[in-house]
Amino acid sequence: MIAEETLVQELQREESRAKAFEVLVNTYKERLYWHIRRIVLNHDDTDDVLQNTFIKVYRNIEKFKGDSKLYSWMYRIATNESLTFLKQKSRKLGVSDQELKDRMVENLQADVYFEGDEIQLKLQKALATLPDKQKLVFTMKYFQEMKYKDISEALDTSVGALKTSYHLAVKKIEAYLKEN
Amino acid sequence: MEKDKENSFNTPEGYFESFNDRLMDRIQKEEAKEGGSIIPKTDGFVVPNGYFDEVTPSVLSKINTKEPKVLPLKTHKRFYYAIAAAAAIFIVMFSLTWESNPEPITFDDLANAEIEAYFENTDLEMTSYEIAEVVSIEEIELNDILDNELADDIIMEYLDENVDDIEELNLEDIDYE
Repeated sequence: MIAEETLVQELQREESRAKAFEVLVNTYKERLYWHIRRIVLNHDDTDDVLQNTFIKVYRNIEKFKGDSKLYSWMYRIATNESLTFLKQKSRKLGVSDQELKDRMVENLQADVYFEGDEIQLKLQKALATLPDKQKLVFTMKYFQEMKYKDISEALDTSVGALKTSYHLAVKKIEAYLKEN
Repeated sequence: MEKDKENSFNTPEGYFESFNDRLMDRIQKEEAKEGGSIIPKTDGFVVPNGYFDEVTPSVLSKINTKEPKVLPLKTHKRFYYAIAAAAAIFIVMFSLTWESNPEPITFDDLANAEIEAYFENTDLEMTSYEIAEVVSIEEIELNDILDNELADDIIMEYLDENVDDIEELNLEDIDYE
């Protein structure tokens, strides 16, 4: 796999940008897909947000200064795009953010691309009750197995605060699953 | 059946061979009950077959297409006004210089409705892009060519009725630095 630093340099040079961008998409599409999917839940919406994310990455790559890892920077864009998408969706439907989250989980039961059993559906219901930050930290740590340091860069939050959020999220999810 | 040499107790056949497996199963189940693993390890989401092969060309095609700035169809009325104004100015200029005409036609003689009806009913054979090329909207303020100034609330009402998604107006643009 091409080193991240080299890839960034190639992306920032106009003559090598197109080729390097293809490498970038191929390298990160799956990871970013799963990150977005766990926020917006539905496959088609995820596809839209993923494509928008890559387009934003392409258009802003010249502004990337390398203060963080390229990977964390793209996660940040993907997270912002996903949350903005949900805000637009709730505005369009004229419902509150929480109402939208509840509807999204309800829709999973009829979703052909969700093969979860009862407990996995309950997990989604539990996740829908969490504040955005706690949900994000939980899914990034638990399902994507990311390091706290990388999550910290992506979400612009200290490692200590992330650990607290993760701990709280686990407790709340466990309590929800036991009660229901 | 296995028999103990020192007493007469028996065990089922293969009991000791399968003991380890059964013990490990039991430990795992106990851990699942007590530990944090009450939370399932996977979340049940799947993707359509071949999706990840298709997404790269799809993203690349969007990057490579330089989209022209698309103006919504419903704003074409502006161009009609602009063209109407241009036509009216031409007629006024022409009539002023045409001295043989005792009563020159003025802008006021042309009712806005008539001008509008002309453009509505006549096929100009121009696309919206061609109209946009000849009429520079940057240099024309809409209020310059309208008798009644468009009040903010009328504009808001128009946007409210005709724009499905306010985001289409690109009012916000997140800057990723």
